[in-house]
Amino acid sequence: MSVFYPAPIERLIENLTKLPGIGRKTATRLSFFLLNAKDSYITELATSLVDIKEKIRLCSICFNITDTDPCEICIDARRSRSTVCVVEESSHMMVIESSYPGYFRYHILHGVINPIEGIGPDEIRIKELQERIEKEDIKEVIIATNPNIEGNTTAHYIGEILKPLDVRITRIASGVPVGGDIVYIDSLTIKSSLDNRKNL
Amino acid sequence: MALHKDEAIVLFKRSYGESDKIVRLFTLSSGKVAAIAKGANKSRKRFANTLEPFNRIRVEYFEKYGRGMVRIENADIVETNSGIEKSLKRACTAGFFVEFVDRLTKERERHEDLFNVLAEILEGIRGAEFTYDDILHYQLRMLGILGFMPNFHTCVYCGQAMAADEKIFFSRERGGILCPKCAPSLPHQVCTEGVIEGIVSVQQANGNAAPGFQAVWRCAENGPPYLNNGFERAAQDIMEGFMTFHLDVEFKSYRILKRLIV
Ligand SMILES: [Zn+2]
Ligand SMILES: [Zn+2]
Repeated sequence: MSVFYPAPIERLIENLTKLPGIGRKTATRLSFFLLNAKDSYITELATSLVDIKEKIRLCSICFNITDTDPCEICIDARRSRSTVCVVEESSHMMVIESSYPGYFRYHILHGVINPIEGIGPDEIRIKELQERIEKEDIKEVIIATNPNIEGNTTAHYIGEILKPLDVRITRIASGVPVGGDIVYIDSLTIKSSLDNRKNL
Repeated sequence: MALHKDEAIVLFKRSYGESDKIVRLFTLSSGKVAAIAKGANKSRKRFANTLEPFNRIRVEYFEKYGRGMVRIENADIVETNSGIEKSLKRACTAGFFVEFVDRLTKERERHEDLFNVLAEILEGIRGAEFTYDDILHYQLRMLGILGFMPNFHTCVYCGQAMAADEKIFFSRERGGILCPKCAPSLPHQVCTEGVIEGIVSVQQANGNAAPGFQAVWRCAENGPPYLNNGFERAAQDIMEGFMTFHLDVEFKSYRILKRLIV
């Protein structure tokens, strides 16, 4: 015979188990934590959950996730107006931003070209990038997609369609990681680092 | 638990959780195999960039991980996918043939011929963009290996051998051409004269002379002149109808590739 918690608790447990990495046991533990938590915390948590659905949208310029349109980055006057860094996802932008804070403007593709998954150029924000280059005064496009087959195909395709426009197109380098040891690096990476070597 | 060593072409990959990768491999000795590579997204040392689509690799794996998957222990590159990224058409063509194998073979069904053809195709695309003739040629070769070759030689209803100029009725349902006598009583499509013969000549051409070859049969001395007018569209129409009816699979890459062909 199975024992059930009161219906509202069961419902919460069930909803929590839909989250990645949360099983029934953890969901139950979290539910009881919430049951005993302060009212103010519960209200705050519930509002923040509703807010991410209601207030978060995509920036109409760069397609970053934002609660203001245009996003903070796009209206930041201190950033270079002439350089746009193209990334696959907002999370990739965050990584670049943390090592090059306040410098670039971005364009978020929301995916990469991946024919076997049915994703072609029309399924991601490539056309919008092209329109931006034509409209804004952009001098350089840095393509920072991942250096794998999908990211490289996307980079080549973007390079191809932007070629007629008067804009410099660059690709992030791939090679030996900083602090790395050549002995442990795979041959493809070594090859790429030699192909992309630079003058001292 | 036995360790298997094999050669394989990576058909598909997907990240799984934070650090694992799930892949489908087309192995030389065991056909299609689903596999998990634990720590593939973290450990650059063990798998580096080997488990990427279109790569030809040497792989060591253990039976069984569970859920029908094997666990990859080691993987090395034999031939990388580099070159395929150079154009959208190359990527879509490679995707189409990889999907072809992925969708039309069963797991653990050994297909050495198909493996070799797929390897040849990927090597070709790394070197040069395929023309439509190249694509059609290999598509027919793969269909032949899998036992799905349409009959372009005799009437599929009465068995009558047919002259070139009579080959204008194609029945996708019956998978081949119809003679003028049988055509009226069976569903069929009418094709421009020469298209069927064109497909046959593309099929019979020996296209595998060198990687990155360009279709040469179209310009062959005794090659039929009609091949140049709207052949792509007509042949594509026949092949598409045939494949949709008999194989009942949709190739995602083909949807994008199609727009690049005609
Ligand atoms: Zn923005
Ligand atoms: Zn007949």
